[in-house]
Amino acid sequence: MSADLTAARPSRRLSASPGHTRRFPRRRSLSRRGKLLFALPAGVFLLIFSFFPLAQLGRMSVSDVSARTLNSPWEFVGADNFVGSATQGSLVPAFGNTVVFVLIVTVIGLIGGLAAAILLSTSTWLSAFVLGLMVFIWALPPVVNGSVWKFLLGDAGLINSIITGIGLSPTAVPFLYDERFALLSVAIVNSWAVVPFNALVFRAAILGIPGETFEAARIDGANRWQEIWHMIVPAVRPTTLVLAVLTIVYAFRSFDFIFVMTYGGPGVATNTLPFLSYLQAFVRFDFGMGAATAVISVLLVLVLAVIYARSVRSEEAHS
Amino acid sequence: MSIVIPRADATASAPSSPQPRRKKRFEPVAGPLRVVLLLIYAVPILFIVLTSLKQPGDVISSQSSFLFTPTLDAYTNVLSTSGLFVAMQQSLVIAAGTTALTLLVAIPAGYGLARVDSRITTIGLGLLIVLQMVPQTANVIPLYQIFGAWGLLDQNAGVIIADTALLIPFATLLLRPFFRAVPEALEEAASIDGASIPRTFWSIMLPIARNGVATTGTLVFLLSWGEFLYAVNFFLSPGNYPLSALLAQQVSAFGINWPGLMALGVITSIPILILFTFTYRLLREGLTLGAVK
Repeated sequence: MSADLTAARPSRRLSASPGHTRRFPRRRSLSRRGKLLFALPAGVFLLIFSFFPLAQLGRMSVSDVSARTLNSPWEFVGADNFVGSATQGSLVPAFGNTVVFVLIVTVIGLIGGLAAAILLSTSTWLSAFVLGLMVFIWALPPVVNGSVWKFLLGDAGLINSIITGIGLSPTAVPFLYDERFALLSVAIVNSWAVVPFNALVFRAAILGIPGETFEAARIDGANRWQEIWHMIVPAVRPTTLVLAVLTIVYAFRSFDFIFVMTYGGPGVATNTLPFLSYLQAFVRFDFGMGAATAVISVLLVLVLAVIYARSVRSEEAHS
Repeated sequence: MSIVIPRADATASAPSSPQPRRKKRFEPVAGPLRVVLLLIYAVPILFIVLTSLKQPGDVISSQSSFLFTPTLDAYTNVLSTSGLFVAMQQSLVIAAGTTALTLLVAIPAGYGLARVDSRITTIGLGLLIVLQMVPQTANVIPLYQIFGAWGLLDQNAGVIIADTALLIPFATLLLRPFFRAVPEALEEAASIDGASIPRTFWSIMLPIARNGVATTGTLVFLLSWGEFLYAVNFFLSPGNYPLSALLAQQVSAFGINWPGLMALGVITSIPILILFTFTYRLLREGLTLGAVK
């Protein structure tokens, strides 16, 4: 409005200038706030298709919902689903599996990512090629990566051919269908899939270290290990913090590789919390119990989100 | 943009100063380790392709042999399945639909959240982060019921909407730093010249932040191309499955036909390879920026 006024009566611009300067910041702040309207479509969309479903999930978790009663009024059962899930004996192992899985993927994902980033932060053609290959694999659908690893880890697969070939084990190792190995195998493959992303982000942080720093260290006679330990590791610390949370969340949400490689088995060996909720809902058709397990994982996510928000804030404060 | 450019410079120029010296160094550890890293990532890819060129009989005796007569049988078999072209079409429709819808909603949201610093923005960002972290299984359970009630099951629209809801938080959080990097003075100049806010957004912000839009669009396409959980559960028969869901269904079946499965894997990956070839540089810079902010 004020813009129209000034445009229509340019002659009054001078005389109106005191009022104008007073009005101008206010108009600007108003229009700045108005820019939040740009986020409105996303807000509405998420309200309908993300938050409403989450509310429905919560309601389901305290109701008796089976495939038959899915679209009729649900009977309120209180905490029965939570109790039922726990007493069936699958909830506690699933929680343990989730913790082990997340730990393995996070540790290998971060250490592997940093190691790969250090190896690939040179400008040789080999480094460039390997980095490109790794990012390509990261971009491939997880079903493709999961399938090939299921193949490679089979009884007659490449890994077992090598193991029996060099005499590490007389018989094939049942990587995916033995309770001792299954969770570990899937977790390692999952780490393999997340290392490229972490390497890419770590590499950017390493390349951001000024070249003079390295030169100065070299003049002082630092070797490569000292360089890594005293310069690279401290320099990437803020990046590590953010990547750690991202990797933890990635591992926690992981579903695709478990689905493709073991389908939660053998027994409950690779049931993580998200996968258990899927099995309860879509294989045993107990939607109420599946929802209860899913609610537990959403609550865990809320805890992680608070940690993430804090680490991003401290990263922004440092940089 | 002002953030993207220095980063691009950093990757281009930073190696050039210490690198010539580093290259001359003899690397007894790093050199071989680089080859090991290459093998860890190249061998699985090699095996997808090799196995897809074998006869089913070759795989039963020894899966890891390199000596075999290559054949395209697995491909001709897979391609002659009538369902394959439907699956390809489904993949394309779902991925393209999801990308278009996600960008349509997330671009303005990323811009809005980049330009306004208020309590609402903080809350909005927090909610987006939470949504991005929620396991997909926590969405698929209620969505299955809701879509059933709304008649969206067994429809492409249902899967596209669910994928979009899944990816909006990710896309918005990735786009926001790109918009934030555009100097506000540019917008102020435009508004003094009399351009409206939507016009400024359309003809100034969007062209400058196009790298961010392209990066986000590519990633959304890749992710929705590979998504299968919604597809497997929302489509009531495998006849409507996209490639990823078909692959997921076949690999968890008993008595897997490995050459056929790998051929399907290769077919699923080729569009990704093409897209990747054109967008790798963009992804390399864009991911590093978006991940940390």
